[in-house]
Formats: sequence, C-alpha cells, structure tokens
Amino acid sequence: MGSFLHRHKGLTPYLLLSPGILWLGIFFVIPLGFLGYQSLQSGIFPTFEFTWEFANFTNAISDYHEQLLRSFVYAGIATAACLVLAYPLVYWIAFRAGPWRNLFLLAIVAPFFVTYLVRTLAWLNILADEGPAVGLLRNIHILGEDGRLLATTFAVVSGITYNFFPFMALPLYVSLEQIDPRLLEAAKDLYASSTQAFLRVTLPLSAPGIVAGTLLTFIPAAGDFINAQLLGTPKQQMIGNVIQAKFLTSLDYPTAASLSFILMAAILGALLVYARAVGSERLTG
Amino acid sequence: MTAVAQTMQPRSRPGVGVRVWSFARRHALTVYALLVVGYLMLPIAVVILFSFNDPKGRFNYIWEGFTFDNWIEWDSVLGLRDAVVLSLEIGLLATLIATALGTLMALGIVRHQFRGRGATNILVFLPMSTPEIVLGASLLTLFLNMTSVFALGFWTIFIAHVMFIVSFIVVTVKARLIGFDRHLEEAAMDLGANEWTTFRKVTLPLLAPGMVAAALLGFALSIDDFVITYFNSGGDQTFPVFVWGIARVAVPPQVNVVASAIFLIAIALALANVFSQYRSAKRTQGAT
Amino acid sequence: MNPRMTRDELLRRGAAAGVLLGFPSLLAACGGGNGGGGGGEVLDVLNFSNWPFYMDVQGKKHPTLDQFTAETGIKVNYFEDVNSNDEYFAKVQGRLSQGDGIGRDILVATDNSRFPALYVEQGWVQELDKERIPNFSNLIDAQASPPFDPERKYSLPWLSGMDGIAWNEDVTGPVTSVTQLLEDTELKGKITVFSEMSDTLGLVLLDNGDDPAAVTDEAFDRALQRIQDAVDSGQIRRFTGNDYVQPLSNGDLAASIAWSGDIASALADSPKLKWAIPEKGGIIWTDNMLIPLGGSVPTASEYMNFVYDPKIAAQIAVGTSYISAVKGVKEEAVKIDPDSASNPLIFPDDETLSQVHFNDPAMINNEDYITRWQQVQGQ
Repeated sequence: MGSFLHRHKGLTPYLLLSPGILWLGIFFVIPLGFLGYQSLQSGIFPTFEFTWEFANFTNAISDYHEQLLRSFVYAGIATAACLVLAYPLVYWIAFRAGPWRNLFLLAIVAPFFVTYLVRTLAWLNILADEGPAVGLLRNIHILGEDGRLLATTFAVVSGITYNFFPFMALPLYVSLEQIDPRLLEAAKDLYASSTQAFLRVTLPLSAPGIVAGTLLTFIPAAGDFINAQLLGTPKQQMIGNVIQAKFLTSLDYPTAASLSFILMAAILGALLVYARAVGSERLTG
Repeated sequence: MTAVAQTMQPRSRPGVGVRVWSFARRHALTVYALLVVGYLMLPIAVVILFSFNDPKGRFNYIWEGFTFDNWIEWDSVLGLRDAVVLSLEIGLLATLIATALGTLMALGIVRHQFRGRGATNILVFLPMSTPEIVLGASLLTLFLNMTSVFALGFWTIFIAHVMFIVSFIVVTVKARLIGFDRHLEEAAMDLGANEWTTFRKVTLPLLAPGMVAAALLGFALSIDDFVITYFNSGGDQTFPVFVWGIARVAVPPQVNVVASAIFLIAIALALANVFSQYRSAKRTQGAT
Repeated sequence: MNPRMTRDELLRRGAAAGVLLGFPSLLAACGGGNGGGGGGEVLDVLNFSNWPFYMDVQGKKHPTLDQFTAETGIKVNYFEDVNSNDEYFAKVQGRLSQGDGIGRDILVATDNSRFPALYVEQGWVQELDKERIPNFSNLIDAQASPPFDPERKYSLPWLSGMDGIAWNEDVTGPVTSVTQLLEDTELKGKITVFSEMSDTLGLVLLDNGDDPAAVTDEAFDRALQRIQDAVDSGQIRRFTGNDYVQPLSNGDLAASIAWSGDIASALADSPKLKWAIPEKGGIIWTDNMLIPLGGSVPTASEYMNFVYDPKIAAQIAVGTSYISAVKGVKEEAVKIDPDSASNPLIFPDDETLSQVHFNDPAMINNEDYITRWQQVQGQ
C-alpha cells in the first residue's frame, strides 16, 4: 500500500477525496438535479410530466412572495436578536468568567442537547395562555386582558431566536477568545476609555465571529418551519411551511420543487451581498 | 514606610455615586450573563420537571404530582423504544461513516494541491448553507424517482444523515489539520517508516482528538435531526419524528424522560471532558 | 337545499356519487402487490394503524383488542399514528408505490378525504377475504356501496363520526353556530378549525345555506371567503388536525370545530368540554379499514370479522363515542351502557341523521380547490 501511494503521489488527493465526493455527488448534487427536473414538471399527483414548465417559478413567486419575504424578515430579526443577546454574554465569558468559562460555554450549548422539538414544545407550555408567564404579563399590564403570547409573531421569532442561539454564540466566542488581552491593555495605555477600547479594538477584532455567527444563524432560520407551525397562526407561516405542505399535503411536487430552488437562490443571493460587504475569504475558510 | 504612606494619602476616595456606578457596571454584565443563561435553561428545566409529573389524563401541562414511574416505565409508550433505538443506531452508523469520509476529505483538501480544490471547498460548504428543508425534500425527490433502488426507511435515513454530517466533519477536522505539526511525521519517515505506516502510527493517533470532536458533533446533529429525517423516513420513526407525531395528540411524560436522559448523558460527558482537561492541565503544571 | 337524510337517502346519494368515482375504482382491479396476499395463513400478529382516541380504552389497555387476542391468539400491535389522512398518505405512498408493504395489516382512512379513492385507484390496497368475514352481512345497508369502493371489495367501515363545534365551558358560553364561531369577537383568536378542507368548508357551506354534497364554484368561493376573512381578522388561531384537543382542554382555546367522539374521550382531563351539531347542520364521514400491500389479508380479515360482531362493535362505539356501521349495535349497547345507547350522537336516530350531510367527492378531489384551501392556511 505504501509503495503504491508513493509511486502515484499525484493520485493521492483524488483517492482521499473520492468516497466523500461520490457520496455528496450522488446524494446532494443529483437530488438537486432531480429537484430541478421536478420543478419543470406539471400535472397532478401521481402523474407528472416534464414540460419545461418555467411558469412554476413565476407562479410560485406570485403566490407565495408573502411567505418568502416573511421568512427573511423573521430570520433577520431573529439573527439580530441573537447577536444582541449573545454578544454581551459571550464577552463576559471570554473576558470576565475566569475559571467558570467552560461551565458557561456548556450552558450555552446545553439546550442543544434537548431535542429541537421538545425544546419548542416546552415553550408551548411556558407561554400558554393560562400559564404563569402570560399571567404575570397581564398582571403588570404589558399584555391586555385577552392578550396572549402564543400564536403570535413574537412567539415565532422568539422560538427561532432561542433555537438558533448557540449558532451565534459559539462562533462569536471563538473569535472573542482569540483576542489578545494585551491589545486592550495597549489601548488603555493610550488613554482609550473602556467604551472606546471596545468599539475600536474588540468589536472589529470580533468581526469574523460576527460574520460566521450571522451566517450560521440566518441560513437555517430562513428555512425553518417548525416554529411557525407550532407557535404561529396562518399569518405567520414561513416559506418552509409552504414547501412542506406542498410536498406532504398537497402532493404538488413541481411547485414544491420550484419553491425550494427559489429559497436556495434567495439565500445564496443574500450570501453574495453579504460576502461583498464583508470579504469572501471569511466565508468558505 | 510611614513616609510612603504619607505621600500616598492625598488621593481622595471617589464619591459614593461613582462607586455605586462602577460597581453596577462591573457586575451588570455578570448579572446579564446569568439572566441569559437562565433564559437558556428555562425550557430544559420545564422538560425535566414535567418528566416527573403524574398526569391524570393524557395531557402533561399541569403539575399533578411527583412520580418516578415515568422514568422506570419509560418505554410503556408504544413506539418510543423503537424510535430511540433507531435514533441511536442511525446516529452511530452515520457518524462512523461520515467521520471516515470527512476525515479523508479533510486530509485531501488540506495536504495536497490539486486542481478543483476550490470547487471541492465549495461543494463541501454547500450542504451547510442549504436549508434543511431543501436538503430533505431534494433527497426525497431522488428516492421517489428511483423507488426500485431506494426504499424509504432505515437506509434512506442513514444516507441522508451521512450526507449532511460530512460537511461538518470536514470543516472540523480541517481546522485541526491546519494547525497540525508535521515535524512528527517527518521524523517518523526519517526513521524509515513509509507513508502508510506513518499515517497509521503517527498521523491518525494525533488526529484522533479532532476526529472524536467532529464525530461528537456529527452524532449530536444526527440524534437531533428532524426535518431531513421527516422527509425521508417513510414510516420509520427516529426519536424526533416520533415526538412530532405524538405532539399532535398529547406528549406523554415518557418523551420528557427520554429527552431529559439524552440531555443529562450529554452534560455528563461534557463535564467529564472539561474535568479531564482540567486535570491534565494541572498535571502538566505540576510536572514543571 | 338539504333534504331529510334518511338511511335510504344515504344509500341513494352514495350510488349517485358512485357514478363520479366508479370509473377509477374499476382500474383498481390491477391491485396485487407482493406477498401476504389473499390465500395465506393467519399470522399471530396484527399491525393496525388507526387514529388516536379511536379505540375503546380502560386505563392503558384496550379491552376489545385484549379480547381479540384471547379468542384468536393473535397479538395486536396497535399504532395510533394516523394524525391526518394526508400526512399518513405521504408517509406510506413511497413504499406502496413500489409495491412494498408498510409494516401494517390494516390502515384507516376517511371517506371525506381523497385518500381512500387514491389508495384503491392506485392498487395499493388488497381485497378482503370475505370468506373469513361472515359478519360482513352485518354491515348496514347505507354503507354497502361507497363511491370509492362500490362493491366493498377493499374496505369496511371502522367508525363514523360527525363534525361539529366543541367549546370549553370555563372560557365561553355555548357556541352553537358556525357564524358565531367565525365572527363572534368574544372568541377572537381563541378558535381553531380543521386543516381538512372537507370538514371545515363542509360546515361553512352548510352555514351559507349551500349543499356540501353538491358543491358549485360559487358556493366554494363563498365558503372559502368566509374562512379567509376569519383568518385575516385574527379570529382563527390555527388550522389543526388532532392537536386542537389539548389547547381546548387547557383553555388556550375557547371553541373549535371538533369531531363528535374526541370530546367524550377527552372528558377525563377536562369535564368542561361540550360538543354540539351546529345550527345549520353538521357533516358526517366514515373511516374505513383498508388492507395495504404487504399486509396479511387473512389476519386482517379475521380482525374485521371480529369487530363486525354486534357485541364487539357496541363496545367500541360506546368506548369511543363514535358511530358504528354494524347492524344490531344499538341493542347490544343498551346492555353495556344504557346512557350511551340513548345518545343520538353515538346511535343516531333519523332526526340526528337529518342534521348531518356528506361531502361532495368532486370537491375533495378538485386540485384547484385544494391549492386555494392550502393558501388560506398560509401554506
């Protein structure tokens, strides 16, 4: 084995890569191809025919642009919320936690160890109309008499925020942890106030983490459907719900396929814009 | 001494207001951190709490009474045990294969220059940036179009899991490889080992911790996956798919039990890892 | 208009609608599939997929299932995994389309969805072994010839039920009409309707004075618009399958469109739940037992014969509060539970039957309607 590899050095990378590439090729690329094929079909279950039906795409956009837009808005808000919530926490862990640091990191990741669905269902319990949370909020008049937390936009976005929090927090931590504290000392020595030190040293140096975290949070959030399904009304349905319903309820595969591509394209588009603004080496790394 | 003390004295103590403010500022962040952690833990606490609930009927949302019964008879809900077993089987098998494939890919990408390196990087990155629903749905399309080859069930779930885990493995192992010290390998080869032996006896063992970390990540992703599995499982149910189905009716406390058990085991492992790192750090400290 | 629904009327309407769907059922002759076919042995295990709350229950056991095992030695694996007709179909259609089994001998599907017809048309179900079902003759005449299976070759009714309105007494007073459900501002944001088009729109059509058994485009548009308005105004909280019972129980909801027997089954948790047929009428539907490909026809047929014994059928009807399709069931029920036996919702008399209606198979199968119905749900 060793001598074979020695003699065919150039082959080595291809040999190493081929099993993985083969797997991805067959089970990622080809399915996308099939999806593309299906998106140009027309007909009614179970008989579909390939008819270069580009109308599927235009129809899908005109019928479901509301959900598409909504998904991006919700994902955007949730990502921003994650960033705002996580940054101070992660800053504290990186710079102030000392010996407790690993414990708190564990606390960030811990929710991940409870199945996604079970976590979301727990919120159904906590935010129930007759439960303690709503009761408290009604008592202090933040919520009206008949106010509720469930089945609202707030519930859906909060659910997304909670579920994807670790995806923002961990990359942020990685980049903050790498900041050499001596740089901050140097800034202080040069008469910077804490705020200035933060804004001009810490924040810029944590930029890679912010970028990574934003991506890792926004992308799955845009395609999520579970939070909207469990915590929302028909007015909060996201594009993920539509795709799921088209595939599994209406059995309308061509529309479902075209919507999937539209979603992917939209995300890639957003990615490109973001990469331009931020510098693309940070992305694929 | 007294002279120094005398020269030190003229500095006046800061006013109370300033002291309170700086106290608050210093600890505000800590308080905030604790609050956020509380927020993160709240649903988990609810899940664990209600696993000990003894509900009168079939709905588990009001606290009725404390019982260990749910934990003892955790598999009295039909389908739950099979779902958990399936999740574990898929998790182990998929993680194994994905780690193997992913490590090989990482080695190939990091250590060799070849044409198509950039494209490979993109190919690996794409599944991570594709929404799960698209991954799941497209794979389903493949399976439904080739029903003579693929039957929805264990193997389609397995295939799907390997597919989406591989990218994460590659990224994790790559990160380790980039910081890898090649001198040890060079030393081994200087001592007469050929490449294969070097790989087996030097590279792999050194890479092992990175591979383990990647495998753990992959396993966690597999156990928790709902969307991709939902589309491709046919009638077989992994634990998350089972929960989705039964949540339409009423979630029995036994589901809380399983979720809590997974959580506690994971926490225990993580704590053990932290502890052992702490111990080995102490040992190296003590040695010097 | 809505003619009085007598049992004869049921039969006649069934036959008339049968013309519409009789043609596709003829194609079902090319059923077949692999293994476990008609001429096999009775196995010692039966795998039965059913809706939740759809079997007599005592504590954590199902008495009739235990009785079946005691009498025949066949163990029953009872799965309550049908949460909606379309989700279940989506789960199994992949394998059935390959001619593969799904690990079940009996599955259940509702006749006011398009799925029984699809299962039969596609040849994904097997013929019953009527020789093993002498109790077949106990099937009531009204159910002898449904549109999707005119000769009852593939199916037998499990239970029938009605769509009506349920409400939580702790939260609201009686909700007696669809109009109240959809427009009473006291109930805003605290009601749900079914995600199944036939159930929800059936009731709205009735409330509009239209005939749910013969749906015109205008009637459909009118009904759909009312639901859309209720969604837009925030009146409807969610579209649900089975998952309305818990929130209704715990007070998150005030009222829902609900199935007649569900509420009775949920009473242990919530004695405050009530159910009634709406003022302008309700919908009646029937769930049917079907034997999917790969299922064991002899074993399934044995079970079907067992549940078509009036004594057993009575236990099931009384235990679930749903309507049985077996002759002589009411007389047996009197011996078990006279109160249930006199409940017209479980053992409907002609008057109750006159208040409930069938769905139009053409509406159920109309792709355009289906798409627009999904869009109203935001999907």
